[in-house]
Amino acid sequence: MEILKLIDNWLRGAMTTWFTGHVPLIFVDILAWIVATVVILLFVSLLALILIYLERKVAAYIQGRIGPERVGPWGLLQTVMDALKLLEKEDIVPAAADHLLHTVAPVAFFMISVLGYLVIPWEETVTIAKFVDLNVGLLYLLAISSLAVIGVLMGGWGSNNKWSLLGAMRGAAQMISYEVPMLLALICVVLQAGSLSLGVIVDQQKAMGLLTWNLWHPWLWLPLIIYLVCATAEVNRVPFDIPAAESELVAGFHTEYSGMKFAFFFLAEYANLFMVGMLFATLFLGGWASPFGYPDPLHIPGVLWLLFKAMLVVIFMMWVSWTLPRLRVDQLMSLAWKLLIPASFLSLVVVSIVMLYR
Amino acid sequence: MTTAPHCVTDEIFLNMGPQHPSTHGVLRLMLNLDGERVMHVEPDIGFLHSSMEKVAESLDYRQFLPYADRFDYLNGMGNELAYVRAVEGLLGIEPTLRCQYIRVIMAEMNRIASHLVYYGTIGMDTGATTPFLYCFRERERVIELLENACGQRLLYHYFRIGGLRNDLPRDFCTKLRAFLHDFPPRIKEYEALLTKNVIFRHRTEGVGYLDPAVARGYGVTGPMLRGSGVDNDLRRADPYYIYPELEFDVPVLPEGDVMARHLVRQEEMRQSVRILHQCLDKLPAGEINVKVPRRLKAEPGESYARVEGPRGEIGCYVIADGTDHPYRLHWRAPSFYNLQALPAMCGNAYVADLIAILGSVDITLGDVDR
Amino acid sequence: MRQRPDHNPLHLLGLICEGIWSLLVGLYITGLNFVRPGVCERYPRRDGRPDYQPQPGYRGDFALIGDPERPGGLRCIACLQCANVCPDKCIHIVPTGAGKERHPAQFLIDAGLCQYCWMCVEICPVAAITMTPDYETSTDKPTRLIRDLEHLQARGRDLPEVLRVETEGCAAEAE
Repeated sequence: MEILKLIDNWLRGAMTTWFTGHVPLIFVDILAWIVATVVILLFVSLLALILIYLERKVAAYIQGRIGPERVGPWGLLQTVMDALKLLEKEDIVPAAADHLLHTVAPVAFFMISVLGYLVIPWEETVTIAKFVDLNVGLLYLLAISSLAVIGVLMGGWGSNNKWSLLGAMRGAAQMISYEVPMLLALICVVLQAGSLSLGVIVDQQKAMGLLTWNLWHPWLWLPLIIYLVCATAEVNRVPFDIPAAESELVAGFHTEYSGMKFAFFFLAEYANLFMVGMLFATLFLGGWASPFGYPDPLHIPGVLWLLFKAMLVVIFMMWVSWTLPRLRVDQLMSLAWKLLIPASFLSLVVVSIVMLYR
Repeated sequence: MTTAPHCVTDEIFLNMGPQHPSTHGVLRLMLNLDGERVMHVEPDIGFLHSSMEKVAESLDYRQFLPYADRFDYLNGMGNELAYVRAVEGLLGIEPTLRCQYIRVIMAEMNRIASHLVYYGTIGMDTGATTPFLYCFRERERVIELLENACGQRLLYHYFRIGGLRNDLPRDFCTKLRAFLHDFPPRIKEYEALLTKNVIFRHRTEGVGYLDPAVARGYGVTGPMLRGSGVDNDLRRADPYYIYPELEFDVPVLPEGDVMARHLVRQEEMRQSVRILHQCLDKLPAGEINVKVPRRLKAEPGESYARVEGPRGEIGCYVIADGTDHPYRLHWRAPSFYNLQALPAMCGNAYVADLIAILGSVDITLGDVDR
Repeated sequence: MRQRPDHNPLHLLGLICEGIWSLLVGLYITGLNFVRPGVCERYPRRDGRPDYQPQPGYRGDFALIGDPERPGGLRCIACLQCANVCPDKCIHIVPTGAGKERHPAQFLIDAGLCQYCWMCVEICPVAAITMTPDYETSTDKPTRLIRDLEHLQARGRDLPEVLRVETEGCAAEAE
């Protein structure tokens, strides 16, 4: 995210020379924020498009198919075209729908998914939220991700459709249930690092590259698995895709959405997915730090390492989701409450003891 | 379900279908839901009704044959077999031995193809998309062999009254043997991927229990009946053609749930492979057609023939009135009877269970509505 | 009746192991299929590959086999047997000429009604009508599905004989 810094610096420099004495400095700040927001939105949308392409290709190869290959080289532009198609489609709002909720839901869902990107450390000492320097990044992230359920509920309720309602109820129950073990599992990592700041968590892992990753601490393996399971459930992927289970609930909470609103849901889903990948990479795989030691002997920018690691995690999640069948609602709940929560408490105790006597 | 006294809850009425991803065609299920629980389910059928039994009355015995494929479009050969046997019974024709062998080969190949569709769709219904494409990949090889033999992929019109359209194509037996060699390891693969998967097992074990007595009461046949512990396979119980000479097991499982039906079908694919091997080994040379008059006129009378299809007993009942077309034709479609047992299986089920149960009934809507 | 699996904590441990095992097995199988060559045919754009050929003997669009020595250049003697035997009554023939000169002045097949059952080919006494492996018959207008004499004749001009699949019986005869 050197680019962001550059843009920010350039903007501030230009603005202050142009408008010295004419406008208060606060406007310069606001403009810088707007530019940063636009950049991050573009980045997330682009990322989601790439991920959708990747997902389709991975699924195709797993299933012995070819996948998109017509539009652009190797079908790379397929998802762009799909997005354009959705953009020009008619926006249908059912007559009986709650118009306001129906419209706000996809926007809320998408914005919430984007907000998480602010606190990920892209590079040493660089987060997008550096303007507000968040030292409780992890806590913020969890708070944000638990907001996503509001988008789902709004969409499901506002559509005034029974399938949507069932999907939204399922989604709400699922997201809230899986929030708890995820939080507990992440606290284990926080105990290990001694800080809620994601930057500090990465700093702790960067010293000797690959060897000092959190991944190699045996006491963090249980939290790692719990986090991965919960995160899969949080982003509604198979085997936990019951809110949008297409063979049961048609399309779940976004049954009644079309056009760009549907695209928002779709993009947000993939933005969330990549967020999980990045958080996993940050917590367990050394984030932006190179796997070959610090400073990076290959001089590859940290942001590329982060994207690469996140992409690996995402591909693994895709691989899993094209392999497994779907859980049933009650099994999903009992998995969360009867298995994952006790297990996460257990791992919390274990990690605490390890930290005490280390 | 217990609720606080001041809280009034109501059941939701939900229309599942006729346009729904998992109703396997145009079936409408009227559901009463209490939350996620299905309190009441009522199948509403008839969206694909094409009055084929009536069509039969205006066509002569030969002309109706291509229509027989269209009852259960996943099992064309089995339907033709039932119709051809009924009409041959009416006319007193006995097909040659080679013809009988080839008919059995075709019916068993079609059984494999049909069970592969089932196998894929039950995976889809429980949320696993990948087995579907693997099954269709294997099915494609069966379908290509059938296409080679009779020129069409689904609606074969291969059997004729008194014989077959043509003999087996050249290299058919070699290609079929190659497929039979490749196929069992693939079944093992699906088994590891889907059947043994812990999520799939939890989704299907103990779900959709069908009592044997209830099953008999509804006239349920085929893998569903055998999944409920009733040993009834027409290839054994009322053998036709060369089946008495063939060695194969009839899988019967007593559990009566979705998993039992699933396992029965999976085992039946293996048994079909066994049957095909034996048929290819024993396939005699000789004529395939017996001489039949150019214009078929049956003496007044009636004939009922039943064969074991992939979904159960396919029965064809023909009444002749001395003309060249049937006075009445009745088709006993296994999917129709099996579907009637759906409400009996859905006691206390979740919506997700309902989908799995419906998948395990393995209906073809063309067969249900006719 | 099989009981639904219970969820008491001791069984859960076994369940976790089972779950991880079946996940690993599943990942292995899907991974295996990831590297296996795909089986998809590209359609309709073939990108330089040869066109997809259905199996020999495929029953597709119609053709009338030509015979330069007969009037109309067709083998067909307009005996109307195919029109009569057709279960869908989709063949319509206007005969012309008498005796040995009899041939169709018009020969219409509504491919939209046809169910490609091969009965017309089977019954033809002079083997004049056949089905070809042409499978691309879809159009945007139902009337375009009606094949007329010109179309059928053009398609059948180069066909020497009814297209049948070579059977084992043929092989035995050849020997």
